[in-house]
Amino acid sequence: MRGYVIKRVAQAIGVLWAAYTVSFLVLDFLPGDPVSAMAGAGADTGQVDPAQLAALRHQYGFDKPILVQYADYLGKAVRGDFGDAVSTGRPVTSTLADALPQTLQLTGAALLLAVLLGGGLAVLATYTSQRWLRQLLLSLPPLGVSVPTFWTGLLLVETFSFRLHWFPAFGNDGIRGLVLPAVTLAIPTGAQVAQVLAKSLLTALDQAYVETARAKGAGRWRVHLRHALRNASLPALTVVGLLVGQLIAGSVVVETVFSRDGLGRVTAAAVTAQDIPLVQGVVVFGALIFVVTNLVVDLVYPLLDPRIVVASGRKAGLA
Amino acid sequence: MTAHPDIRPTRWAALAALLTTSVLLTACGSGAGGSDGGSGRAASGGTLTFAVGSDAGCVDPQQVGSNDTIYSVRQVVDSLTDQDPKTGKIVPWLAKSWEVSSDATTFTFHLRSGVTFSDGSELTARVVKDNFDAVPKLGALGTLAEGYLSGVKSTTVVDPLTVKVTFQQPNAQFLQATSTHSLGIESSASAKRTPQQKCSQGVVGSGPFTLKSYVQNQTITLARRTGYDWGSSLWSKKGEAYLDKLVFKVVPEAGVRAGSLQSGQVNAISSVGKANEAALKGGQVTLARRANPGAVFNLALNNSRPVLKDVKVRQAIQYAVNRQEIADAVFPTGTRPATSILARTTPDYENLGTDLAFDAVKAKSLLDAAGWKTGSDGIREKDGTKLSLTVKWFANSATNQPALELIQQQLKAVGIDIVLKELQISQIASVQQSGDFDGLWGNLTRADPDILRTLYSTKLANAYRLPTSPLDTALTRQAATTDTAKRKELAGQAQHLIVRNAYVIPVVELQTQLGVSKKVHNLDFDASSRIQLHDTWVG
Amino acid sequence: MSQDLIDDATGAALGLPARPVEPGSAHEPGRHVDLRRVRRFLVRRPGLLLSALIVVLVVLASFWPELFTSKDPLKGVPSENFRGPSGAHWFGTDELGRDVFSRVVHGAQLSLKATLIAVAVAFVVGSLIGLVAGFVGRWVDDVLMRFVDVLLSIPALFLSLALVTALGYGTVKVAVAVGIASVASFARVTRSEVLRVRQSVFVEASLSCGARWYSVLGRHVLPNAAGPVIVLATLDFGSSILAVSALSFLGYGAPPPAPEWGTLISDGRNYLANAWWLTALPGLAIAATVLATNRIARALDGEWSRQR
Repeated sequence: MRGYVIKRVAQAIGVLWAAYTVSFLVLDFLPGDPVSAMAGAGADTGQVDPAQLAALRHQYGFDKPILVQYADYLGKAVRGDFGDAVSTGRPVTSTLADALPQTLQLTGAALLLAVLLGGGLAVLATYTSQRWLRQLLLSLPPLGVSVPTFWTGLLLVETFSFRLHWFPAFGNDGIRGLVLPAVTLAIPTGAQVAQVLAKSLLTALDQAYVETARAKGAGRWRVHLRHALRNASLPALTVVGLLVGQLIAGSVVVETVFSRDGLGRVTAAAVTAQDIPLVQGVVVFGALIFVVTNLVVDLVYPLLDPRIVVASGRKAGLA
Repeated sequence: MTAHPDIRPTRWAALAALLTTSVLLTACGSGAGGSDGGSGRAASGGTLTFAVGSDAGCVDPQQVGSNDTIYSVRQVVDSLTDQDPKTGKIVPWLAKSWEVSSDATTFTFHLRSGVTFSDGSELTARVVKDNFDAVPKLGALGTLAEGYLSGVKSTTVVDPLTVKVTFQQPNAQFLQATSTHSLGIESSASAKRTPQQKCSQGVVGSGPFTLKSYVQNQTITLARRTGYDWGSSLWSKKGEAYLDKLVFKVVPEAGVRAGSLQSGQVNAISSVGKANEAALKGGQVTLARRANPGAVFNLALNNSRPVLKDVKVRQAIQYAVNRQEIADAVFPTGTRPATSILARTTPDYENLGTDLAFDAVKAKSLLDAAGWKTGSDGIREKDGTKLSLTVKWFANSATNQPALELIQQQLKAVGIDIVLKELQISQIASVQQSGDFDGLWGNLTRADPDILRTLYSTKLANAYRLPTSPLDTALTRQAATTDTAKRKELAGQAQHLIVRNAYVIPVVELQTQLGVSKKVHNLDFDASSRIQLHDTWVG
Repeated sequence: MSQDLIDDATGAALGLPARPVEPGSAHEPGRHVDLRRVRRFLVRRPGLLLSALIVVLVVLASFWPELFTSKDPLKGVPSENFRGPSGAHWFGTDELGRDVFSRVVHGAQLSLKATLIAVAVAFVVGSLIGLVAGFVGRWVDDVLMRFVDVLLSIPALFLSLALVTALGYGTVKVAVAVGIASVASFARVTRSEVLRVRQSVFVEASLSCGARWYSVLGRHVLPNAAGPVIVLATLDFGSSILAVSALSFLGYGAPPPAPEWGTLISDGRNYLANAWWLTALPGLAIAATVLATNRIARALDGEWSRQR
C-alpha cells in the first residue's frame, strides 16, 4: 500500500511537470508581443518608448533563448513562483490565490447542487415504477448536457434578476449572489452525475447481492438506497476528478456571464490580454486541481471498496 | 482668496459664454442626476454602488484617460483649480489664487494652507513641484497629463505655499489643464513612485475619498477621507463627503448594467446607450445626460498606410458615413452628428457641417477617380489589392460596437470593406505606439481646442501618423497665442484643415448618459462631463 | 487498479457501452441497409426522427442558407431595430434592425464549419495516436498514453484557452483549439478498441497465419474499432458546438458582423434588459442542434444494434 501511494504521488508530480511543459510550449508559439500590451495603461494617445519595451522584455526574460527561459521558469514554478502577470505586474501566484476563494465557493456550491440534483434524479428515475415518470426523468440529463451554460445563465438572469428581482444579476454578494451562478454551473455537471449514476444503479440492481437483500425481505427503498446506491456510487466517485476540472473550467464562462470575481474571470481577461504567465498559471493550476482530486479519489477508493485489492504492479493512469 | 482670471478676461468670458450655451442646449437631461436635492434631507453615510463598463487597468488619475475609470480615480485627488460646468470659469480649489503672466508663459499658484494627503503629509509648493516634475516622465503612460505640461521649462518653489510654473513658449491652455483629473495633485511620496506602481497600487491624494482596494477588471473601492476640509469652491457641502463608501464594479454588458440598476442591485451605471433608454425610463431611475466637449467620436485613420495616403480615399470615407443614421440608431437621445472634429460645446468650435454631410454618390465617384474599381464581391480593388481596412476598437462604451457595425455597413455600400478588431482599453497605448491599425475608434474629452494639438500635432505623439503640413503651424500657434480672436481663428483653421483633408473621420458627438437611481441625489457632472461625488448622498 | 474503473466510468459518462467483437461482420460484402427496418426503427422513436430532421435542417442552412431566408444577415434597417419576434421577423430584429433569424441561419455556416474542423482535428489526430499506441504497443504506447494523460489532466476549456492565447482569434483558430482539446478522448477510445480487437481470436489467427500487419490493420482492426470512435465523433460533435460557441461567446471567434452563434448571444447580452429574443432564440438554436446530435449519437451507439 505504501509503495502504491508513493508511486501514485510521483505520477501526479510527473503529470504536473508535463502539463507545465505542454503549456510552456503552447504559449511559446505566441506570435504577438506580450510586453507591448503591458506598456499601455489607458492613456488616450501616445507612443511607448522602445527602450522601455526592451527593458520590460528583459525583465520578463523574453530576450533569452527558449531553453534557458524554460529552465528559469520551471525552477521558479517548482517554488510556486509563476512570475508576474504581464497585464498587471502582480505575481501570478497571488493573483490566482486572491481569485481562488470566490471560484471555490462557486464550484463547491455547484458540485454540491450537481450531486444532490443529479443523484436525486438518478435514484428517483431508477426507483419509480411509473413508466412516464421514469421516461421524463431520464430525458432531463441529455437536455442538461446540451444547453450552453452561457445561455442558461442569461435566461436565469433575465427571469430571476430582471423580471422577478429575486437574485442579483452579477457580482459576489453573499449567498443570494451565489444562487444563479451555482445553478447555471451545476446543470451540465448534475446531468452527467445523473447519467453515470443511473447507469451504475441499473447495473447494481441486477446484481446478486440485491437479489439476496430482497429475498431477505428488505424494503424496496432500503434495497435501493442501502445496497444498490452504495455500490453504484463508487464508480461514480471516479468521475469526480473529471467533474471538478470541468467545473473549474466552466467558471470561466459562468463568471463572465455573472460578472463575478474569480479565477474564471481572471482567466478570460488573461487570454484577452495575451498575458502568458497568467494563462500558464491558470493551466497548471487547472491540472493541479485535477491531479490532486484524482489522487485523493484513488487513495480513498480502496478504503471505501473492500473488494478492491491494490495491485501495485499495474500502472494507474489518470482519467 | 481672489482668483485672477482677469489677466485674460476676454478669453475666459468667451469660453464661459460657449459653455453656457452648451449647458442650455443639454439642460433638458442634466437635472436628472437628482441634482434637485429636493426630496428628503441630505444625510451622511451609506454606500454608492456604481457599475461601469470597463477598467483601464490603472488607478492613477494622472495616467488614466478612459471615462469609466476617471469616474472613480477622480475622487481620490484634488486639483489646483476647478472649472465651473455652468460657466466654464476656472475657480479656486487647492490653489486659492493664481496669476498668469500676460504672455501666458508663467503661472503662479498660491496654495491653500492646512491641506493634507491621506498619508499625513502636507500640501506644499514642493509637492506640486514633485508632481509637475514627475508628469513629463510618464511618457506614453500619461499622454494627457504630459501633453498639458509639454514645453514646461521649470516648476519652482517660491515659498512654501507658492509655486511657479514656467513654459518655454506661451501655453494658453495650461490654466484649464490644472483643473483636470490628469493634473490632480498626489503626495510627494506617491509622485515619486514608478508609473507602474502607481497604476497597480494606486496613489495617495488629498481628495474626499481614498482608495481602499483595487481588483483589476473587477472593482475599485473608495472610502471617505475623514477630516477632509478643502473641497472645490464649486461644491455645496463643506467638509467631508456625505458617502462612507464608493464601490465601482466593472460590468461589461450594458444590458446587465441596466437590469441591475432596475432591480436595485446598483445605484448608478455608466454609458447608457439608446437601446436601454426605454427600459430604464420611468420607474426608479433617471437618465443624466451631458454633452462632452473635446474631440468627437471619430474614426481616426492611420495616415501612413499607402491606401490612406490618398486624400480621395479618406474623403470618400468621410462622405460615405451617414452620421445622422448612426446618431439616431445607436446613441443616447439627443446625440448630435459631428459637425467638426470638435464638439459644439468646445471653445472655438467651428461648424463645418456641410463638409461632413452624407453623400454616397460623391464617395463613389471619389473612389472611382482614385482608381478603385468595384470587384465581383462588391468590394473595390486596385492593382489586385482589396480596399479593406482594419479598424481597432475598445469595448469601453456600449455604443462602440453597434456604431462601428453601422459604419461598416455604410462603407460597404460604397465598396469599402471594414474589418473590426476589438481590443482591451488597456492596450490602447501600445496600439497607437506601434501604428498597427488602419483606423481607431474613439474620442477625447477636453474643454479646450488645444486637444487638437495633443491629438494631431506631428510634433507630439502623432499616433495617427499625419504628414507634416500647415496644420502643425496652426496648432502650434493657437497654443501660443494669448489673443482670443487670433486663437479662435487659428483653432478654426486647424479644424478646417483636419476636416477637409479627412485625416480623421468625425462621426458623432459624445453625450455622456448615466443611469441614476432616484435614491441618489446630487450626482453632478463636472465641466468635462465626468462626475464629482463629494456632494452626492443616498436617501 | 484505477485504470479500468476510470476507463469504464468515462465510457459510461460518454455513453459508450462495451461492444462485442464481430469478426468481419461490419463489412460483409452484400450487406445492405434494410429500409423497412430503418423506417420501423425511426417511427418508434419520434424524438430521434425530430433530431434527424433538425440536423438535416442545420446542415442545409449551413450550405444553402438562402433556402430558409432571403433577408440579408449583415444589413438591416436601423430605424426598425429591436422589433420583437413577428411574422415579418421570426426571431425579431437586433440593435441595427437586422433580421435575427437570418443571422442565426447564416451563422450556422460559421458555427458548423468550426465544429466540423474541431471534430476532424480531434478525430484524425486522436485516432492516429490511439491507433499507433494500440497497434505498436510497448514503449510507444507508454509514451503516447502518458502524453494523453497529461492532455486529459488539463481541463478542456483551459487547454483551448491556452491555444487561443497562442494562436489568436478567429473561427478556424477557435475550431483548432477546441479540436486539440478533445484529441485525448479519441486517442483513449481508439487505443482501447484497437487493443480489444487486436487481442481477439480472429486477429491473433490472421497474424499467426502470416498475414501482413497492415492488411490485418486494414481488414480487421480498423473496421471493428471504428464503431465506437464514430459514436464518439458524433458525441464530440455536440460538445464541440458547445465549446466553439462558448469561445465565441467569450469573444475569441470571428469579428463582427459575422453572426457566429456564440457571438450572437454575447452581443445580445448588451440588450438583455430590453430585447430578450436576441439571447434566447439563438441559444435555442444551439441547444436544439446539440440535443439532436447527442440523440443521434445515442441511437448509433446502442439502440440500433439492440433493436434487431
